[in-house]
Amino acid sequence: MAGNEQQPQNQAVKHRHRTEGPQKHVVVFILSIVLTAIAFAAVAAGDVNPVFTIILLLVMAVIQVFVQMGYWMHLKDKGHLMPIIFMIGGFFVASTAIVMAIYWVWW
Amino acid sequence: MTSAHAEHVNGELPHEPEKATLEGRNKTLGFWLFLGGEAVLFGTLFATFLALRNSNNDGPTAAELFSLPITAIATAILLVSSLTSVFAIQAMHRHNLQSLKTWLIVTVVLGLGFLGLEIYEFYEYVVHESFGLTTSAFSSAFYTLVGFHGAHVAFGVVWISLLIAQLYRKGLTVVTAPKVYVSAMYWHFIDVVWVFIFSVVYLLGKVG
Amino acid sequence: MAQAQAQGHVHGDHHHSVKRYTGIMDWLTTVDHKKIGILYLLAGGFFFGIGGIEAILIRLQLIKPMNNFVSAQVFNELITMHGTTMIFLGVMPIIFALMNAVIPLQIGARDVAFPFLNSLGFWTFLFGGILLNLSWVMGGAPDAGWTAYTPLSSEYSNSHGVDFYTIGLQIAGLGTLIGGINFLVTIITMRAPGMSYMRMPMFTWASFITSAMILFAFPAITVGLVLLSFDRILGANFFDVAAGGNPVLWQHIFWIFGHPEVYILILPAFGIISEVIPTFARKRLFGYSSMVFATILIAFLGFMVWAHHMFTTGLGPVANALFSIATMLIAVPTGIKIFNWLFTMWGGQITFTSSNLFAIGFIPTFVMGGVTGVMLASAPADYQYHDTYFVVAHFHYVIVGGLVFGLLSGLHYWWPKMFGRMLSEPIGKWTFWTFCIGFHLTFFVQHFLGLLGMQRRIVSYLPHQNFDTMNLISTIGALLMGVGILLFLYNIVVTSMKPMNAAADAWEDGRTLEWSIPSPPPEYNFKQTPLVRGIDAFWKEKMAGNKAMTPAEPVGSIHMPSPSILPFVMSLGLFIAGLGFMFSREDFSNSFMSFIFNNYLVLIIGLMITFGAMITRSLIDDPGYHIEPEEQEEEVRA
Repeated sequence: MAGNEQQPQNQAVKHRHRTEGPQKHVVVFILSIVLTAIAFAAVAAGDVNPVFTIILLLVMAVIQVFVQMGYWMHLKDKGHLMPIIFMIGGFFVASTAIVMAIYWVWW
Repeated sequence: MTSAHAEHVNGELPHEPEKATLEGRNKTLGFWLFLGGEAVLFGTLFATFLALRNSNNDGPTAAELFSLPITAIATAILLVSSLTSVFAIQAMHRHNLQSLKTWLIVTVVLGLGFLGLEIYEFYEYVVHESFGLTTSAFSSAFYTLVGFHGAHVAFGVVWISLLIAQLYRKGLTVVTAPKVYVSAMYWHFIDVVWVFIFSVVYLLGKVG
Repeated sequence: MAQAQAQGHVHGDHHHSVKRYTGIMDWLTTVDHKKIGILYLLAGGFFFGIGGIEAILIRLQLIKPMNNFVSAQVFNELITMHGTTMIFLGVMPIIFALMNAVIPLQIGARDVAFPFLNSLGFWTFLFGGILLNLSWVMGGAPDAGWTAYTPLSSEYSNSHGVDFYTIGLQIAGLGTLIGGINFLVTIITMRAPGMSYMRMPMFTWASFITSAMILFAFPAITVGLVLLSFDRILGANFFDVAAGGNPVLWQHIFWIFGHPEVYILILPAFGIISEVIPTFARKRLFGYSSMVFATILIAFLGFMVWAHHMFTTGLGPVANALFSIATMLIAVPTGIKIFNWLFTMWGGQITFTSSNLFAIGFIPTFVMGGVTGVMLASAPADYQYHDTYFVVAHFHYVIVGGLVFGLLSGLHYWWPKMFGRMLSEPIGKWTFWTFCIGFHLTFFVQHFLGLLGMQRRIVSYLPHQNFDTMNLISTIGALLMGVGILLFLYNIVVTSMKPMNAAADAWEDGRTLEWSIPSPPPEYNFKQTPLVRGIDAFWKEKMAGNKAMTPAEPVGSIHMPSPSILPFVMSLGLFIAGLGFMFSREDFSNSFMSFIFNNYLVLIIGLMITFGAMITRSLIDDPGYHIEPEEQEEEVRA
């Protein structure tokens, strides 16, 4: 019918996934903490070049968001094609608004 | 249009009960789409903030106001609460109702902690720093963006509390499972938005 | 679906006693997409009528130079409310009416994905629309133009008009967003077996893309309206230059929503035309996959051209050049569509029904609007056209000549499916010719008025500037369009007195699934979910010599959702909360009024009603009810 979105329930019962442990998610958590700590440390250090700091902040944030959405929100799992398409759409339109705010509001 | 009856529980509740019915799958997909819209909503709020973040109108600036320790604590609380809601979903997939309820309660408590911290922060700004909604364009943008996120947290706390109450009354069924799953997605999304808030609002504010 | 059905069997013996309502309560509580479609049509038609009357009043004021028919303030309110009402409360609900009535049938579904939310979407739209229009009797309508540019809307508009605009549109916009998500999920998960994405009818495709655009565009205006209402009611400084704000920010946010919005309006019309033309040419749509591709490309580009509304704001040559080129690019996918329609008709056996007349009339009219669009896309030339009647002519050619022609075509086409009665063809043709001639009379001359320098939104003009005759012609044309709409209403009245005897395949050449089931369909639409074996599924079966679709499942008990009053209650709560927020800083002479409003009591009560209804909905499971095969037989006989 609609491809991936509809896994018949029997299948889910039959191929009972191995009950996944918490390890994977704890790893994501630790990674998030580390990324956050790097960002905070870069700002707390103070005398780093601001342009470098801003780029670092954005990179840390984007990595963390990617990892969390992939693992914690299961976007990397099968059957998430439509969610991925629509999240990309949302982030794309959001980014046009950000570009607008940076370049075309003050001049 | 599957009839979603509680009887499933007594028989075999599937491994992923949130995907057992068409209603459940529709609810999850619909919520994903809603989050796509939320991304634009917060994107526009971030855009507003970025446009106005230096317009402090002789009021306090971001660098003067923000305190890194408070932001760090709030971040830690929200990040841990995101992890606990992952554990809640894992407990749900193991059909461990008791563990599910416990992790949800922990999530709600952490959410309340985050809200308390934010209210304290806003209170400090308004009372001690004379930094209210009407102070400057920067203050308007700050309170609207961070306040919108806070309102989302508050809504999530109320929502998950109601779900806990439902779990006590109805147990884990193919009707309650999608609700829990979707609320966990919502909670993760709030955390994702917060990642951008602490980076763009607080840390960038300190950098200048 | 089949699996859902199997479960229905297992539990088929559970008879949940569900309260079923009749009369007015039936309409207030219905979650049936076909009835909600009719509600959308009624409410949208009502607001369309109000917007039309406002248009006639505008044209009467401009019929001659220095006219004093209405005051300048009332004129400002009229132009603001005409634009706002037509776009948000008139044509969008009529689009939703057709989407509700047709999409589940076209994809072979028994229902939409979220029947309850569908109902909620309608009621929030309706209460938002009522709130907005209450402004006429509660101290003055919004008067800052439908674009509500700041600071005109924030600092220089002192009545509550713009508050009605921000709060009313906020509530109505929520309904639109809910409706959009509902249709997206419906189309993604509820398609009948065999109906792959590339076998979906074009109207369903267009609605799918439109709903995606709604999903991404409406949150932007939600934020914009929040900012504007905070500025006006709570004293925030987003657009207040004196406190560091920036009025251009509003323009950007408004058009980041506003430009996708105009494609949200036109894409469903493209979809309707793509259904009507093949049916009445007895040929399959030429270039189906290029049509799908063009629709997606238009939607994508639609999000990247918003600043072409702001060429004269002074964004600089780089931004103007970028947005200029991006805008002109949209002509390419649009041109693909135009040629595909022409090639569909080429060599077909065309019947000129009134529905087809509107569809064929659409093509040249829309092309004219498209051509002036490309002219306006040229940034240097736009400095000349900006804020003149040339722009007014352009967007009425695409919105009226495009969208309204498309909607009238679709209404004539699907009327038998929605109501079981064929509209009168002779009256339909009169409707087309009066409306079409009236339309061109009204707006064609406005191109030249604009080029001669007549400003948009002006309340009066001096004589002897070569404006006089053309304005007179324009007003006569507007009245003729009014006659066309009245003829359509007359047609509806006459038709509703005729017996309900439309055939299932009302036009005999129906291509898509909706024509394979009775007119109007039973509440469960398809007794058996059909098996789709190709594009234009029903036509394919007919060509293979089959009278009906091949079923994909045995006859069985059908599960339906229960009716509910909660969507109405939730929307009512938002309506009350909106009024409470709007008047929270008002100085009332009455102490009771100031007590309940200034202490935010009304706002809190409204929100409590809404959240109370939400909690009720969450706590009480809806078991729905089943329609057993015997009852299905009875309904068919009845």
